[in-house]
Amino acid sequence: MIEVLWHGRGGQGAFTAARLLGAASSFADGSYALAFPSFGPERRGAPMRAFTKMSREPIGDRSAVSRANYVIYLDDTLLGEGWEDELLPDGKVIVNSVRSFGDPRIVAIDANGISQEILGRPIPNTALLGALCSVCDYVSADNVKRAIEGYMPAKLHEKNKRVVDAALEAVGKTRAAGVAVNTDESLKSQVIGSVSRETTKDAHFDAPASRGETVIPTLQTDALDPADFAHTTCYDGGYLVAKNAGWRNMRPVLDAGKCTGCLQCYLYCPDGCLFRPARQTADAAGTAAVAIDYDFCKGCGVCVEMCRFGALAMVPESEGDER
Amino acid sequence: MAMNAKNMPADELFFGHKACAGCGGSLAVRAALKVLGPNAVAALPAGCMSAVGFNFPQLCFANNAMITPFAATAAVLTGIEAGLRAQGKKPDDCTVVGFAGDGGTADIGIQALSGAIDRNDDVLYICYDNEAYMNTGIQKSSLTPFGAKTTTTPVGKNSHGCLTQKKNVFEIVAAHGLPYAATASVGYMSDFLKKLERAKGIHGTRFIHVIAPCPTGWGAPESKMVDLARDVVDCGLWYLAEYEGEQVSGVPGGTFTLNCKPREFASVRDYLKGQGRFRALSDEEISLVERSRDAKWEMIERDWA
Repeated sequence: MIEVLWHGRGGQGAFTAARLLGAASSFADGSYALAFPSFGPERRGAPMRAFTKMSREPIGDRSAVSRANYVIYLDDTLLGEGWEDELLPDGKVIVNSVRSFGDPRIVAIDANGISQEILGRPIPNTALLGALCSVCDYVSADNVKRAIEGYMPAKLHEKNKRVVDAALEAVGKTRAAGVAVNTDESLKSQVIGSVSRETTKDAHFDAPASRGETVIPTLQTDALDPADFAHTTCYDGGYLVAKNAGWRNMRPVLDAGKCTGCLQCYLYCPDGCLFRPARQTADAAGTAAVAIDYDFCKGCGVCVEMCRFGALAMVPESEGDER
Repeated sequence: MAMNAKNMPADELFFGHKACAGCGGSLAVRAALKVLGPNAVAALPAGCMSAVGFNFPQLCFANNAMITPFAATAAVLTGIEAGLRAQGKKPDDCTVVGFAGDGGTADIGIQALSGAIDRNDDVLYICYDNEAYMNTGIQKSSLTPFGAKTTTTPVGKNSHGCLTQKKNVFEIVAAHGLPYAATASVGYMSDFLKKLERAKGIHGTRFIHVIAPCPTGWGAPESKMVDLARDVVDCGLWYLAEYEGEQVSGVPGGTFTLNCKPREFASVRDYLKGQGRFRALSDEEISLVERSRDAKWEMIERDWA
């Protein structure tokens, strides 16, 4: 039995991908598949998991997958400490990311870039499905496309099939590159560029490497003191153990020079993530009337709509990191 | 001086919650607790705000807050208030406040609300209205407007969404003759803050019905949440009004006040077509929506102005 564990966020289509994969693997006679999601009580944007089990035998075990042959992350912020524990020996991780992760078991693909280019929206699920076909021989790309035709609305067929092809092509290139550099002991795992970012590839890939080491963000840690992350906005009565930062793929940035201090963003933020700094800080944002709590901002963009002076703008999360 | 962005307390009393990005309901709760302060005690029935606020161990209310049975929001408020008073533990600035959704207010919790008003218990009941049972995945409530698509009022060949009109909860509540009731919208925050302050200062049962758009359930971009909450008022499908009972106004039967009278309504079509839930509406059905709006405003101008 081949087991696949999907880590995604509500709204990214992880369960759809899990179902499509199950469908794709079960077209042949005598094939069986199971796909199901696991949600918490949280909302769109919150971490969730989905599972696909594929076998030539009837599948009796309907429980969640704790160790999988393939672990797929639709969002790289979900790839945190302990990821190895979910992987069977010889297992592979496929992650939607533009960063590199110094580990040959991790295949990174810019699925957001591919889907943004073709679908016009960063919905990475079918791109990762294409990447999986390339890494896992059990499922063919043709069957994945057949599953897309059978289980997605007709208007999405063509574009998603193109997404699968683009992902296959991107992973194919990397695998070829992987063979060529296998002798290199210091091999870093490859990051597969999106079709849209071919020209700016170097800039994108060099940025993380220049930091010297790979930083894998974690959403939950054991010791979080509200004073460390709520930046004075949080009244100390609440008890918070998890940030919401990983919910967003766009973030608001403030142009302090244009801010007039009207505070409409602060007034209308549903999460209370725009706050009035208690004291002047050294950085430029400290001179504006408001600052942004990136630990809890979900990237809804209400603040940008509320700003009449153009002082706030949404930028992709990957660019935000570089600022 | 009325509370505004510049003078409202910096403390966030509802923070770190797991609501969807751009959630109108969480903005309503955040704003209400800013006005009511850390000594307010909150009660929430089943609904989005209790589901996103109490993900143990992530507890997002800095205030004392508890979850109630679905039908019992107002009854639990009564109990909290009586209990605090009996123990002599109720500070002067302690407001006992309930945050219930539209289903928890207009469908499931209406008997408990009616009972609390009947007893004139000293509680504030806030209905954040996102126009469907969003917590369970968008089912119709009695505050879902005509034509809105939900999972129980689907759109297809034979049906174009919700067949019924939004229930007049504000007037139902006002008909009890309680001290204070108001409607508001999270898009008009200064009006909402003013009504919260007003309600805070009155003893007896108070009720605020605040429109709180749900981008997920309404099929609209998250960033447009506040704009939608303004548009619904501007196009006349929602109104900002207050009712002051005889205890407050001194007028037998109480008085209605319209706080905002649009000189000219914005386009209903633009408001409806900006949301996925109304996409299937035909021109004829849109004019039906406009006609029912006009009928409502005829009543408002005749009786309230």
